[in-house]
Amino acid sequence: MYIIIVGGGKIGFFLAKRLFKDNHAVVVVEKDAETADVIAREFKGTVICGDGCEPSVLEQAGIARADVVAAVTGVDEDNFIICQIAKDQFRVNRTVGRVNDPDNERAFNELGIDVPIGVTMILAKIIEEEVSFSDFVDLLSFKRGKLALIRVDLPESSPVINKKVQDLQLPPSSVLVSVVRGDDVIVPKGDTVLKPLDDVVALTLVENKQQLLSFLIGKM
Amino acid sequence: MYVVIIGCGRVGAELARLLSTEGHNVVVIDHDEERFSRLGDAFNGITIKGNGVSTKVLQEAGIEKTDVFCALTNSDNINIMASQVAKGIFKVPRVIARIYDPQRAHIYKTLGLDILSETVLFASLIRDKIVDPMLSGFLIETEELGVLEFPVAERSLGKTVAETNIPGELMITAIRRPKRPVIIPEAKTLLAKGDTLVAVVKMASVPKIKNIFSL
Repeated sequence: MYIIIVGGGKIGFFLAKRLFKDNHAVVVVEKDAETADVIAREFKGTVICGDGCEPSVLEQAGIARADVVAAVTGVDEDNFIICQIAKDQFRVNRTVGRVNDPDNERAFNELGIDVPIGVTMILAKIIEEEVSFSDFVDLLSFKRGKLALIRVDLPESSPVINKKVQDLQLPPSSVLVSVVRGDDVIVPKGDTVLKPLDDVVALTLVENKQQLLSFLIGKM
Repeated sequence: MYVVIIGCGRVGAELARLLSTEGHNVVVIDHDEERFSRLGDAFNGITIKGNGVSTKVLQEAGIEKTDVFCALTNSDNINIMASQVAKGIFKVPRVIARIYDPQRAHIYKTLGLDILSETVLFASLIRDKIVDPMLSGFLIETEELGVLEFPVAERSLGKTVAETNIPGELMITAIRRPKRPVIIPEAKTLLAKGDTLVAVVKMASVPKIKNIFSL
């Protein structure tokens, strides 16, 4: 694939190196001359120094044949504009925009950015999970917030303890993805029996999340 | 009217004061609280410290009942994004955005936003003053029409406006007469010595018009 990454900060640079290693054609666009220089010395793909919000710079980066444009600068409105120009003016198939301020997630979601990535929110959730003492954590949400991946620590009092997965009446549009027991990761089958302290990861429609939580944890 | 303005720079603050004095409900948003001092004591609207692209901040500003939204920060990208949030998410009926970069102004005009580019406006204004002090090409938002301001020609004295107009090319729309209020003329208004005529003209006809009136 031909991928343009706008923003050569830590995220952009790291992403560029990974994608390049996977044999994609990668162009990095970075506004700051010094940063662009540093990247160019280490990165084997193309580096362009310029403002990715300028259509002419994107043209120089070869946007006409780009499959994906990822705008990952630290400035939300820049990422928004870059994705929009890529989409509206250059008909790029897939635009990925980094959202730094969680307050802006709604704008990215509703105004046509294909894949908004709320980095702050994702990080906060991971940290929340690590420090959390609660029984469950939202891991991720997909499809513009309609689907959620959650993790639940089954308490001793959970109504599903010692039951087989096939006997569970899960709420609609919910599915168990994995069970983590100690160091083992189990892909649940019909005859898997749930034990106390199992870590259950489940995928569910957001509107059924509460129902699923009560089902797995018991009274909340 | 209920007006929300983001960006309390010189332009934003001046507009907020004007509208507030005229009795409109004005909310001004800026991330820098100190800029609100520009509004002066007479300003009786609301000020909110925050980021003007944030849906939460805009909701706090009452965006749902806003008649007009003006994005006047000094960042083109903030203005473009905030305008689209106002129009696309909150369905504000009128959205006006200031954009410095002429190229971007052109792109976003096609998105149905009311885009004002002071760079283009001001450059055209100065160009007119340099190249052709009588002509203003920037006033009407089309490249085909301009406004020409010129002293009445000897040959037009005593003639009516209708006789002086050139159909399809020049139409006198106002007359400035010394020590009199500006006259909006009728077809039969007579032109007098000392009049300055203000006319809408076709840009392509300007050389011909200048020739006719010996300008």
